[in-house]
Amino acid sequence: MKPYQVLSFIAITMAVLGALYWAFPEGKVWHIESAEYTDYTENTDTIAEFPVFAEQDTIVPVAPKPVIPKVVVDSTTDSRVFLSAFYASLQEAATRKIRVLHYGDSQIEEDRMTMQIRDVLQARYGGAGVGMMPLAQTIPSLTVKQELRMNGRFTMPANGPRRYMVYGPKSTQRKDGLYGPMGQVAAMNDSLVAGSEEITAICRPQGHPYEHWQVLADSSIHYTTSGDTVQLYGKGLVYGLSQESETGIIVDNIPMRGCLGIVFTKMDETQLRTFYDKEHVRLIILQFGGNAIPSNRNPGTISAIVKGLREQVQYLQACAPEASILFIGPSDMLTQLDGEWQTYPMVPYMDKLLRKMALEENIAYFSLFRWMGGAGSMMRWQEVGLAGTDGVHFTRAGARKAGNAVAEWILNGMD
Amino acid sequence: MEWIKYILAFDAEHPLLFTQFYFWGFFALVYALFALIMDRVPDSLGNKKLHLRNVYLLFVSWFFYYKTSGLFLMLLAFVTLSDWIIAQQIHKSNIKNLKSPLPKILLALSVTIDLGFLAYFKYAYFLTDAFNDLFGTSYSIVDKIILPVGISFYTFQVISYTADVYHKRIEPVKNILDFGFYVSFFPQLVAGPIVRAAEFIPQLYKPFRLSRRAFGIAVFWIINGLAKKIIMSDFLAVNLIDRVFDNPLLFSGFENLFALFAYSLQVYADFSGYTDIAIGVAMLMGFYLPMNFNSPYKSQSPQEFWRRWHMSLGRWLKTYLYIPLGGNRSIGFGTYFWLTVIALVSATLTGWWLGIMIPFGVLVAAMIIVPRVIKDTNHLKLFYSNLNSFITQVMGGLWHGASWNFIIWGGINGFGMIIEKIWRPMNWHIRFVSITLLLIGLCVADSMTSLPVWRLFAVWTAIVWVVTAIRYIYFLLEGPENKFTKALGTAWAILQTFVFITFTRLFFRSSSNLDPATANEVAWATAKNMVNQIGGAWSNAIIPEFLWSYRWVVLMFIAGMVIHWLPTDWKRRYRLWFSAMPLWTMVLAVVAAIAVIYQFVTADVQPFIYFQF
Repeated sequence: MKPYQVLSFIAITMAVLGALYWAFPEGKVWHIESAEYTDYTENTDTIAEFPVFAEQDTIVPVAPKPVIPKVVVDSTTDSRVFLSAFYASLQEAATRKIRVLHYGDSQIEEDRMTMQIRDVLQARYGGAGVGMMPLAQTIPSLTVKQELRMNGRFTMPANGPRRYMVYGPKSTQRKDGLYGPMGQVAAMNDSLVAGSEEITAICRPQGHPYEHWQVLADSSIHYTTSGDTVQLYGKGLVYGLSQESETGIIVDNIPMRGCLGIVFTKMDETQLRTFYDKEHVRLIILQFGGNAIPSNRNPGTISAIVKGLREQVQYLQACAPEASILFIGPSDMLTQLDGEWQTYPMVPYMDKLLRKMALEENIAYFSLFRWMGGAGSMMRWQEVGLAGTDGVHFTRAGARKAGNAVAEWILNGMD
Repeated sequence: MEWIKYILAFDAEHPLLFTQFYFWGFFALVYALFALIMDRVPDSLGNKKLHLRNVYLLFVSWFFYYKTSGLFLMLLAFVTLSDWIIAQQIHKSNIKNLKSPLPKILLALSVTIDLGFLAYFKYAYFLTDAFNDLFGTSYSIVDKIILPVGISFYTFQVISYTADVYHKRIEPVKNILDFGFYVSFFPQLVAGPIVRAAEFIPQLYKPFRLSRRAFGIAVFWIINGLAKKIIMSDFLAVNLIDRVFDNPLLFSGFENLFALFAYSLQVYADFSGYTDIAIGVAMLMGFYLPMNFNSPYKSQSPQEFWRRWHMSLGRWLKTYLYIPLGGNRSIGFGTYFWLTVIALVSATLTGWWLGIMIPFGVLVAAMIIVPRVIKDTNHLKLFYSNLNSFITQVMGGLWHGASWNFIIWGGINGFGMIIEKIWRPMNWHIRFVSITLLLIGLCVADSMTSLPVWRLFAVWTAIVWVVTAIRYIYFLLEGPENKFTKALGTAWAILQTFVFITFTRLFFRSSSNLDPATANEVAWATAKNMVNQIGGAWSNAIIPEFLWSYRWVVLMFIAGMVIHWLPTDWKRRYRLWFSAMPLWTMVLAVVAAIAVIYQFVTADVQPFIYFQF
């Protein structure tokens, strides 16, 4: 063939494709997944109205020093005013334990984000230890290397004692609501007909000193501790183990994979109330909302989910009347629409509804989405290695940055 | 002005790729001028017309490279110039004095320059860390080092040219612009195939020739490549593979395993798709590039796989590394040198100095003793060949980057080839006893430690044991060997090879697309987490749910594998059938294919679903 014939072929093909594109300007002849989104971006408050924090990747821990907290935020514009109970409780940190529970979805797995909040608070107000962890940790933590032995044999967590999870599939849920403060519980001897079961959990903290163990379990469970090892015997429920100090700040990482956050009302009220009171829980951080985004394209559903979250907040307020609550909204999240990566249209809407709900319920709200820079910011995070290719999860570096920002934001609310 | 800048200037965010509309617009314009030269410049000008074409395509290639890699074009130009000059000098010295050491010195200089650049861009972080460890310093690389696109490919190409001139396999190219065209020809510049000078340079002096059938085949390769790249590769990667490799702990064992197998298809579709397009585009301009992939997952052994996978690299490594090491004839300085390099790099990366140096010492002792003890030439050949091919495989791994995972990847491939060579001629009694003992050992290891890695190996060995037992019984009963049993044997060999290669990819993919500063640490953690999930977080209950939720991904994977495994003859026939289509039908077929491909470009991504809590 002559080159001009080849050129003609290329030109005709391109012309036909151009005509086709003209006929279907949106580019889609058919969809692999049909998607109908409504654009709510325009209804969102502008990013400039929200505080943008200075970049700070690491915060060097300093020796604890007593700080008399004083709330300085403007109550008309800053939701940190609702953290005043927590700020006030910090005065007691030198003499007693003050507990911060960080509940969240997969964004906080592996102790991501929480570890930064812990490091910053413990550096300023004292306290040691990584806090609570499940008996068998199916998802490794960056701060504790955990090993499980059943009757002396090394056992993978998935093959360990039966786990019940308030946020898991139906087969893992309990009717009595006894999940403990972490929303998950391990049942020793649950699957055995006879015979005693002995479980050894070895938990090696990675650079986090602690003073003593605490075992949250039924009274039928007996245990002994030695160094980084705890041995448990008997039949009953184990709600968690904890490495912690007796004074200062203890920050617990409680990830709930795939969870929308509408689970607390399924957890036994008496059990929660007792724990929150006895353990001086003074701040509850809830970091949810992200799991509602990918599968929900309808604003009505998002509103219903936020309504469900409001009920959880009210329930927790009732269970822990002395604690402040901080809600961390979802980060920017990406999807591919028409071949272009972009923010899920529901993220700004979800963020806006959550903020409104928080203010109405008198709880603090940290907008991860706006702090990141709003719609599309996840792409910039990906470019610099702060977010993964899924456009949803932070990398470890990204989680570190976000965790530091939250901690700084909390502390900046005081003198 | 912005659009002119967009068209002409380099933008790191938007490199020029075959899958972009920009490239095809660019190619159409390039081809228009190309057609003008070929059709309007009179043939009576002879070589001048060809020279004009070559110079034109050289500048087009440089523009293409500039759009892809920016000012790294200077590096390409420098390497081109240095190898052209050095090859000329080698040739002159060869003619003047056959015993002169100068050609060897010049060859060493050329290789040092070429590999020096490659080493800087690929190993600077590793070398800085190693230097700091050794001398207690704390140097660091201030600016991030960006790897110039295609540097591995054109480096290998210029080395092959200079080495071929040194060995007098080819005459040096007289005109530097022609040589520049050979090094920079844009279809294969970024991702190969690695073209040897002897294959390509003669084409520079031949007039344009493209038969009607060759045109059809070229169009077929382009469409085939685009479909592979966008449907099989990008779709699978975005919707499943990338997110699993990013964070294996978010996914169950089955999802990890599926993603690993899907990655095997993805990496093939991505790489071979790109070279298919390169071959097609080059053909349209009358240049013929060598085949680079020959249905590699049809291989019945790891050795065969490496003859079918990235064939141009395999040939390069054989010619310029394996044979100079001694091949199956001997072991010499090169073997000791590269083995020492591998041991030092491995020990530095892992910090296991004793654990690496002891086996290294044992191997060196074996290299000294074996040739003195074994007198049987065939056995010695096997020893040399295994050793040199093992080193070649590990060096092939290290070439991808300074990461422990790449070394493991190369090492497993090397071991796989050796074990297969030993296993195949074994008699059935020994085979059965060996696999039984291995299975018992793995089961004991699994029951004693419950480590997921033993569980993983034990399960796969159990499957191999079952098949081996059936074949062993069949052998003992002296069952007849016929077409059916042969086909079963072939299918089993293909499956085993595919599983083996897929397992090695666990280490390869974990090391890919990472920040070089932290690559080693992250890659190892990813590979470990994947093994732990596959061997320790398996759940049959979620498999149906996963298959249904990810049905498009699963269907694409199955379709990809089925097409891959279609008989070669069928593929050849439909290729020929396509190439013989009337041109207007071909236009419609191409438009239809692109419309389908485009649906995958614009498809929504698979939402995140958690199956394991």
